[in-house]
Parts: sequence; C-alpha cells; structure tokens
Amino acid sequence: MKNPYEVLGVREGASEEEIKKAYRELVKKYHPDQYRDNPLSKLAEEKLREINEAYDYLMKNGSGGSGKNTYGGSSNWNSGNDSGIFNQVRININSGNIAVAEEMLNRMPNRTAEWYFLKGLVFLRKGWYDEAYSHIQTAVNMEPGNFEYRSTLNKLNNSYRNYRTDAYGRGYNQGPDLCSICQCLWCSDCCCECMGGDLISCC
Amino acid sequence: MFGYVLPEKPELKIREYETFRAFYCGICKSMGRRYGQLSRLTLNYDTVFLAILLSSLADEIPEMKRERCIAHPMKKKYIVTKSDIVDYASDINLILAYYKLRDNWKDEHNFLSGGGILLLKSAHEKLKKKYSKKCAIIEEKLRELTELETSKCNSMDKAAEPFAKIMEEVFCFDPLCVDKEREKLLRVIGYNLGKWIYILDAYDDIEDDIGNNSYNVFIYQFGVNKDNLQDCKLTMRKRIDFNLTYALGEISRSCKQLELKINSGIIENIVYLGMLRKMEHILKAGSCKKVEKSI
Repeated sequence: MKNPYEVLGVREGASEEEIKKAYRELVKKYHPDQYRDNPLSKLAEEKLREINEAYDYLMKNGSGGSGKNTYGGSSNWNSGNDSGIFNQVRININSGNIAVAEEMLNRMPNRTAEWYFLKGLVFLRKGWYDEAYSHIQTAVNMEPGNFEYRSTLNKLNNSYRNYRTDAYGRGYNQGPDLCSICQCLWCSDCCCECMGGDLISCC
Repeated sequence: MFGYVLPEKPELKIREYETFRAFYCGICKSMGRRYGQLSRLTLNYDTVFLAILLSSLADEIPEMKRERCIAHPMKKKYIVTKSDIVDYASDINLILAYYKLRDNWKDEHNFLSGGGILLLKSAHEKLKKKYSKKCAIIEEKLRELTELETSKCNSMDKAAEPFAKIMEEVFCFDPLCVDKEREKLLRVIGYNLGKWIYILDAYDDIEDDIGNNSYNVFIYQFGVNKDNLQDCKLTMRKRIDFNLTYALGEISRSCKQLELKINSGIIENIVYLGMLRKMEHILKAGSCKKVEKSI
C-alpha cells in the first residue's frame, strides 16, 4: 500500500481541508467521464481507486498530524474485502453504471453504514428519493461523525429548500390573504374611532 | 392522468392565460377533428402542460385562430391550430385516457368506463399503430403496476416507478429528442412529473381507498387504517412533502436547463406556483375539495 499522503499529493499531517481539496481535484482529474473511449481508462480507474482508498483512510483515521503515525502498517487499511468493493461501487455510481453498482451492493452480506450510504446514492440516481433519504439517514445514524454522509443528507435537505426559496421568490404565497385584509380593515377602523373619526360606519 | 398540473391563475398574465386556454382548446379540437366528438370528453390538463413545454422547446410560435366551440357557443376563443405538437399531445391524452378507462373497468366494472372503452377502441387501435413503441412500453409498465398492486407493494418509490416511467416515455417527443442532452432533460421532467402525480394522487385517495378496500401504497408503507388515519397523515405528510418537493425541484431545474424562451412564463408559473399550490392544498388534510377545477 502506498503512503496515502503521497497518493493525494499533500504534505504529511496536512489539515482535513487541504486533504479534501486535493481529493476533489484528483477525482475530477481521473473521473471516468474524462476517459470515455480512451485507452487510458483502465489506468485512470486504478488511480481513482487508490485515491479513494487513501482518502477514506485519512478520513477514517483522522488527519492533521494524528494520521501520519498510523498509516505505516500495511494491513491497516485492507480491513477486509469490503472497502475494495465499496470503491468499485463508488466508481460505478460516478460513471453512471447504476445497475451494476446496485447489483454489487445487493450481493454484499454486511450492512455497514457505508453500505447504506452507497445504496442511498444509488437510489438517488434512480430517482427514488424516499428510499434514498431513509438509507442515507440510516448511514448518518450509524456513524454520526462521518462528514460525507452528513453533508450528503444536508444536500438533500437543501435541494428541498432551494425549490421553495425559488418559488417564494416568484410570488408564491406573497401578498395579503383575505384574513389579513379584514384584520387590517378592522385595525384601521379601530384607530380611526380612537381618533374620533370612523372608517367603516356600520361598526 | 389526473389534472393536477395546472397554472396558478391569479399569477398569470392575461395573454398567458389566453395562450394556456388556446392550447387547451387546441388539444380538445384536435381530438374531436381526428377521433370523433365524444373523444373530447377525455381532455385533461396534464397534457396541456406537455403541449406547452414541447412547443416552447421546439421554439415554435403557436399559430392561433379565433373560433367558436360547443362548450362556449356564444364567444369566440383563441385556439392553437396546425401544430404537430398539439396533435401529439392530444394523441397522448387519448392513449392515457383509454388505459385509465380500461383500468377502471377492471376494478369496478361500471358502465361508464365500459362504454368509454368501446367508444375509444377504434381510435386506440389507430394510435397503437402510430406509436407502437411507446404503447408497448406503456402496456408493459401498466402490467408492472398491476403486479405491484397485487403483491401489496409497501414502498412509494417502487409503486410510483411504473407510472413515472410511462410519463418519461410520454415526454420524449421523438422529433425533439434528436439532441441527446435535451432528451435526457425531457426524460427527467417526465419521470419526476409522473412520480409527483402518482404520489399526490395516492395521498389524495387514501380515505376512499381505505373505505373501498382498494390498494394504496401508503396503507402498506405506513400501516394506515380507519382508526389511525388522522395521526398517520401527520407523520406521513412530512415525508410525502419531502418527496413531492424534491421531484418538483428536479422538474424546475431541468426546465431551467432547457433554456426555454417562448411561453416560459406559463411553464414557470405551473412548475413553481400552480403545482406547489395544488400539492399544499392536498397535503392540508380536510381542506376544501374544490381545488381540482380552478380554471
């Protein structure tokens, strides 16, 4: 296993922010979409898998100095076969092979937080929002400290809010309804009466 | 088709309102002209949205004429004439109406739907030849829907899938799908619209379905019955609201990406105001029943 800091191209003990930034850039660079019909696609896939593993490792074991002492042990990150499959699932989701990713997940016996998270992503890409939300929610409940799960859940909630903000910006539910018009009239009438005048003569 | 996809009338400009009416009447007349006067009774608002969206995407300025109509014999109204898209929308209207009648007939055996099937039979045979691929997909999805119903499916996503796929197919008007990017966006709009309609309709019908012992996905997903209906509605509402709004969000985003110019005001009105209003009316339990016909 390679040094995860080297794979991501950051200095040892880099902060979480730095790692995330580097990770995002690398994923963009090696994204399968860039290598469609390209002989280098296998290589890019391999590279992306390495990057994902390194990132997962650093995120799991904490970064910012504390991680640098723990990476050395080679057996540390291969915590079973699952993480390799998860990475392949991620690659498939990113490149749009949703059916393949779903099939792979269905074959896995262990239902960990990551399993629920990835299954949620698969549902989201299929347009099954209800299942997506409850799966990602389960992942967050199982691993409340995981930044990725939580931010994805937030993104779902934001998308819900964004539409409403847009709609309200276009005048949805703006302007007075009948009730507030009556209230306004009644108040004006009271005020006028206080001052000795009258707005609505019958009351 | 259910007639949930409507504009918010008070927020329309007068000319937009006239245009919406012109499409509505155009579809109605196109059906009458080609498939006989009685077929006009199946007219539905959802297909009007389809026609306006597609014609806007085709950058087609609709050709309008002032004509009289049986329903309004005294006044001449604007009507969209000579439009392939309006003809397509009216074909779709008829296809979906036919399948809906057939479904009703299977469930209830009432004479109205039986008679309707007989009347539409010949028109449907013609349309089946014209749109053989689309009809085959629709029939397959309807079979899946029946299977899900008999197996008492307990997930709204699964239950809504066949209808969403049907609408996805309907929104792919072939001449406009040459551009693959556009096709993708139209499919997203159709899929999410179908999903939105299915879930909203299921929520709207839940009381009747419990009473008639008919299938409704929420009965199985949330364990609703006669006694806990009101409590269940409260817990369900939040989740259903999320799903419906998310689908609307996807529709609105895709509409934005299509960069529509002609009649974009009407489309925005439907997507941001009309559908949201409709949905909130239905989600508020026990609100007035009169919302369904507002135009």
